Amino acid sequence: MSHPDDLLADYVDGTLAERERADVDTHLDGCARCSAQIRQAEAARTALSELEDVPMPFGVTGPVLAEAGRRFERRRGVAWERFQWAGGLAAAAALIVVVALNVGDGDVRNAATPAASSASGGTGAAGGAEAAAPGAIHFAGIERQPNVNYDDPGIQAVALEAADAVVAAEQAQAAEPTSAPPEGFATSVQDSKERTTLAKDCVRQSGIQGPQDVLIRLIEAEFEDTPAYIAVFSEGPGAGQPPDHIVVFVVAKDDCRILSTASQRVPPG
Amino acid sequence: MPDPPARDEDLVRRYLSGDRAAFAALVERHERRVYNLALRMTGREEDARDATQDAFLTVLRKLSSFRGEAAFTTWLHRVTVNACYDLLRKRQRAPLLDRGQDDLPAREPPPAPDHADTSSLSMDVQQALLQVPEDFRAVMILHDVHDLRQEEVAAIVGVPIGTVKSRLHRGRIALAKAMGIQQEGRPSGEAGPSGPDEPPGGPGFGERADAAGPSEGTVSP
Repeated sequence: MSHPDDLLADYVDGTLAERERADVDTHLDGCARCSAQIRQAEAARTALSELEDVPMPFGVTGPVLAEAGRRFERRRGVAWERFQWAGGLAAAAALIVVVALNVGDGDVRNAATPAASSASGGTGAAGGAEAAAPGAIHFAGIERQPNVNYDDPGIQAVALEAADAVVAAEQAQAAEPTSAPPEGFATSVQDSKERTTLAKDCVRQSGIQGPQDVLIRLIEAEFEDTPAYIAVFSEGPGAGQPPDHIVVFVVAKDDCRILSTASQRVPPG
Repeated sequence: MPDPPARDEDLVRRYLSGDRAAFAALVERHERRVYNLALRMTGREEDARDATQDAFLTVLRKLSSFRGEAAFTTWLHRVTVNACYDLLRKRQRAPLLDRGQDDLPAREPPPAPDHADTSSLSMDVQQALLQVPEDFRAVMILHDVHDLRQEEVAAIVGVPIGTVKSRLHRGRIALAKAMGIQQEGRPSGEAGPSGPDEPPGGPGFGERADAAGPSEGTVSP
């Protein structure tokens, strides 16, 4: 006997057309299996429909709204913060030497990410050793990952990996304080200066990069099928202190809109 | 006469164009539904809180790429169901020692005194619901608890409507069995035999391959 299984859910819901309902009724008269299933399904449906909504516990969405506020301020205020920061920097120029990080072939300087400044000095002579802030990671240029399609867990994994790299860098630099910042991430394909500049411009244009963010990794890949740049920043209190957070932003290559973010706390070393 | 409430999609636009309060309005409007969906899916208040937060944080992160191709509520439900799947997977990976009695749905908020009988029934249903495979559970909760139409459920879960009908029917039978309701349609203390053409334990749950949520088709390197 063939059973009208595809109609039984609608039969229980009472949404079958009259004729189909009559057909099922006729079938049920002679089919103990389907009749039993209908009784079970009706009992289950009734039980489910009697489940009552539970009131929302206090404080569940508070952190979400706080995060929304932070992101909002970050988006809105980044230009103003940069302006303020630039003023502060001018005033403090006599005290602070900006360490220009060598990028890739050595001539693209990460001047927009001043949190890498080290109060202890160091001039960033190309190829020379410098006293790096603990946890500083050498930015090695854009990485192209043409066949990789990230999703949110993937982005979170990138953040976690970066946090681990910062901890490893801190430990290495504690062991040998005068060494250059370690190579944090192997670049599978190191590309031209133009490509790196283009990506950085897009990241900058998206307005996500805060004044305390130091770019430590830049990936060109896809995010949920959209061509994207994945920018990994370390954030910290500055003043030679190691970074305490990793923030990852994903921006679309075509219009630099923000696609996703992830963050990861760096465990204290 | 007061203005009609703003549409969700309008609130999204307002938030993106600089109205900070619009996101709070979206959260306030939907938090109870999201939380209850998560509570029914996970059976545990702590997980429901986490899933609710994860879902709204995902919404926050992705609002700028929300193109309005689906209704906001459809998208929100999808994000919530996926957040629940993620949490349930994490919980499955957690060592058994960390789980203990918390897994039982008895940690739901205390019942209101005037609904004591209903709430105790709810706990039984909730406990039985957790024995139904996740993909079937999601469809049943969305349709039978949250009263969403089958078409909406199909859009949320990302499966054809025929699959929704099939999961709905088989899920209900599985739930009835988990509640101890035998084929005669009344509760019983012990589980009875399965139907003649069903595998033991209820109707087959073999068609999970098409259940991937939107985030599951991509690579997590």
